[in-house]
Amino acid sequence: MLNRRDILVGATALAATAGLRPSFAQADEIRIGAIYPFSGSGAQIGVEAKYAIDTGERLVNESFDLNLLRARDAGLPALGGAKIRIIYADHQADPQKGRAEAERLITQEGVVGLIGTYYSSVAAVVSQVAERYQVPFIAAESSSPTLHRQGLRYFFRAGPHDELYTNAMFEFMDSLKDSGRAPVGSIALFYEDTLFGTETARVQKELAAARSIPVVADVKYRANSPSLATEVQILKSSNPDVVMATSYTTDAILFIKTANELGFRPKGVICQDAGYYEPAFLAAVGPLANGLISRATYAPDFAGRRPEVQVVNDIFKAMSGKDFNDSTSREFTAVQIMAEAINRAASREGPAIRDALAALDVPGELTIMPWERIKFGEDGQNSFVKLVMMQCKDGVYRTVWPGQYASTELVWPIS
Amino acid sequence: MTAQIVLQVLLSGLLMGLIYALVASGLALIFGLMDVVNFAHGDFLMVAMYALFVLVAMSGADPLLLAPVVTLVLFAFGAAIYLGIVRFAMRVQTNRGMVQVFTTFGLGLLLQGLAQTIFTPDYRSVDGGIVAGKSVALGGIILPMPHVVGALISLAAFGLIWLLINRTDLGKALEATREDADAVALVGIDRNRVFAIGWGLGSALVGLSASILATFFYIFPGVGNSFVLIAFVTVALGGFGSVYGALAAGVLIGLIEAMTALLVAPSLKMLGVFAVYLAVVTFRPRGLFGSM
Amino acid sequence: MAQPQTIPAPITAFTSRRRRQLAVALAVALALALLPLAVADVFVMNILVLTILFASLSQSWNILGGYCGQISLGHAVYFGIGAYVTVALFVDFGILPWFGMLAGAAIAVVLALALGYPCFRLAGHYYTIATIVIAEAALLLVANAEWTGGAVGLQLPFAPDSWATLQFGRTKLPYYYLALGLAVATWIVSWVIEDTRAGYWWRAVNSDIAAAQSLGVNVFRSKMAASAVSAFFTAVAGGVYAFFVSYIDPTSVMSFHISLLISLPAVLGGIGTLWGPALGAIVLIPMGELTRSYFGGTGLGTNLIVYGVLVMAISLLRPQGLVSLVHLFVPRRA
Repeated sequence: MLNRRDILVGATALAATAGLRPSFAQADEIRIGAIYPFSGSGAQIGVEAKYAIDTGERLVNESFDLNLLRARDAGLPALGGAKIRIIYADHQADPQKGRAEAERLITQEGVVGLIGTYYSSVAAVVSQVAERYQVPFIAAESSSPTLHRQGLRYFFRAGPHDELYTNAMFEFMDSLKDSGRAPVGSIALFYEDTLFGTETARVQKELAAARSIPVVADVKYRANSPSLATEVQILKSSNPDVVMATSYTTDAILFIKTANELGFRPKGVICQDAGYYEPAFLAAVGPLANGLISRATYAPDFAGRRPEVQVVNDIFKAMSGKDFNDSTSREFTAVQIMAEAINRAASREGPAIRDALAALDVPGELTIMPWERIKFGEDGQNSFVKLVMMQCKDGVYRTVWPGQYASTELVWPIS
Repeated sequence: MTAQIVLQVLLSGLLMGLIYALVASGLALIFGLMDVVNFAHGDFLMVAMYALFVLVAMSGADPLLLAPVVTLVLFAFGAAIYLGIVRFAMRVQTNRGMVQVFTTFGLGLLLQGLAQTIFTPDYRSVDGGIVAGKSVALGGIILPMPHVVGALISLAAFGLIWLLINRTDLGKALEATREDADAVALVGIDRNRVFAIGWGLGSALVGLSASILATFFYIFPGVGNSFVLIAFVTVALGGFGSVYGALAAGVLIGLIEAMTALLVAPSLKMLGVFAVYLAVVTFRPRGLFGSM
Repeated sequence: MAQPQTIPAPITAFTSRRRRQLAVALAVALALALLPLAVADVFVMNILVLTILFASLSQSWNILGGYCGQISLGHAVYFGIGAYVTVALFVDFGILPWFGMLAGAAIAVVLALALGYPCFRLAGHYYTIATIVIAEAALLLVANAEWTGGAVGLQLPFAPDSWATLQFGRTKLPYYYLALGLAVATWIVSWVIEDTRAGYWWRAVNSDIAAAQSLGVNVFRSKMAASAVSAFFTAVAGGVYAFFVSYIDPTSVMSFHISLLISLPAVLGGIGTLWGPALGAIVLIPMGELTRSYFGGTGLGTNLIVYGVLVMAISLLRPQGLVSLVHLFVPRRA
């Protein structure tokens, strides 16, 4: 019996070490966990996030003569120049795996903070794990408003949530009338049947009702459908001024191609970023993307006027072959914020870093984002974000609203 | 809702249905021949689309012009998969049905993993060529050209399958093997060779479908998942093994899907298809055209 | 099990084999009950909970799929019902998960019987495709319903540790023992089935329907009974899983992937055997977690390749399942 028991214990110990990836922890190294989908249908998101976060890691660890948060020092001076190291984990868009990986990163890898997760469903679970273990979690780009309403103390989000995004779209539409352009008399909603799509549409319907703009079609479609012909036909027959579209890359490609083939040309198409902003989308639809309007929280043309942003964008581009976009810019920024909080806390303890995050007040000029500042409210949400509207011209998105950020004139209506 | 919209939606449902039928035809052919359900069917489609992607990238030619090449490539691929893997799944003595299901399923995972490793998870698309972005207008009804051409190719392909099975020696050999695989050995037909050709033909049809889909659809390692369930339902609704059943079922599914989207809700369009399928098999357990 | 008064010789051999199975099971259960003493790590505990939970799920699946030969690839529907009913009753009405799980299981049983009526007339691949379709239809309904939270899903409110509400922040032990209890229960049910009239009927249905009918077996009723038992335990496990994860949405509890995870351990471990599901789960679940942890972070498809090759290799090389490997080392007696 004793023997068998020993074997069992031995086997378990083996399993335990197998669970650990080889970790060569250095005493002065500070670990931050990043949880993204690296396999499965969302793998592309994770791969790009990794490049962005690696860029952030380099900015923090090396010395750059740039006027950006945590750029000048090599490492974290308050911790004796300690370097940060990002430990990546794969959640495959599954909340259960997100939970397991968050727990592994905290208990086995000894991370002092977490960044993630793109999918709001996974972020919901990871934020709870972070709370239980008192390790701060920065939701870099997960944008469901439910996340900051859980009453959690260790949850932080520097970027906007879906309500702010949608609000910006409606403020943009308000501005059309004020600037003497054709006003929006009716809208049609086109959104995927996921959390992202349904939450966005819910807010869109509320805001449209508040402004008495009629919603003439409410098309919730099945994500990754083989065909969107009927959906486009429903939209077309409702004859809206504006279509508000919320999709990921796959359906965005199919929607724009199908709309073109079926001759559906509303005055404007206002997109909830995501699929309509992806390089893969722009490559697939080519000139059909021209005229599309998308909300964004990162304005590449505006940021491009600042040399320091150009420098980090080049680093990112050297790795990924792509420019920063809405998601990757916020992932990069999340690393800066986490590193800054750790440095201010001068500690590796979760509660101290959490307090430093809560007290943080960073002017927007120190980030690559067009934000006023980063200062978290009681609920962990940064309410000093700025949103811009961009329009695609010659295959490139340029800022058209609000005026002070605009780099090109808005074309309206587009048809 | 005007009659014109209904007609428009029905027509586009019909076109999509013909394309679904072609996507499912290879699955039906292989099943009819040897009682094997290829659970990697969707991943074969993915392989075909990537093959097309590479060919277009190398030659810059129209994807429809490359269709014969992709069809040949997939014929070789399918035959090789049979000879290299499926043949051994046919030999096992116990749990043969299960082994076939999970061998092909594991193969599908492997293909997806390979595609992600080779091509990265990025979304790709090929230039749709001559049909891309065009449409056919018939008295106020507008039909996307890629769907129209795809549907016509699908009909032509079903015609060719009919000729092949009914008018050639190969067809006779396929038919004989399908009826009694053991007996054909006695008349000098190499069963393995017939099966390999069957897998080749089934996969070739997948290759042809991929050329059509690529004119309007995107490509990524999981692209097969968008079509595979519809293909399974098509084959089961038509009756396993009945290639013409797949044609009828594909059209039916295209129509029901489009009408459910129009009349109920787009997000529930597959629910209409599922409901009709379940209703049909409740009364006809072997599908519309399956032998009872 | 009551012992007959007079025991003919072959029955003695059979009974002693049954006793031996029970003894082995008892030893395994005891060892597993003590195992957490040796494991402090949360990640390893997490894998253990999942492994044992999916062993019990696959054991439930095996009752229908293995003994009765009805290959379902749609068990996610029962799993999802268990998860959704348990969480919704708790979140909306404050009904404790213990009762919620039973409610979910009861609904799953009713559904299994209702679906059995059309489905069990289908043979072979037709049945399998129908189960996939039903689960997909259920997924669509759940994703578009109000009480399920739609695509947003349902989240358990952040609450202190409690056995009543089955919420535990850091420790995995309660979930471990719940899963173990479920695994023991499903194993015992399988063990009992192997030696009851119903069990013989079910296996007769599996091996030769025509022969079974001619011997007076009610094929339809046998399938219905096996289906009900299988659905019951699958739904209970769904409830446990939901509280273990603390958040559910349609794709995470009702997708085809879940159906596959439920059936695969039994298939690869040894379909229709007493130990196959457990053995399959022990190989598959940790491997899935470890390949993801090792290779997933690379963004390459390595984990899919490893998983796919393994599934293919076991199917082809060990068609009777991994359990047949055991007989290479332990000569089959009796």
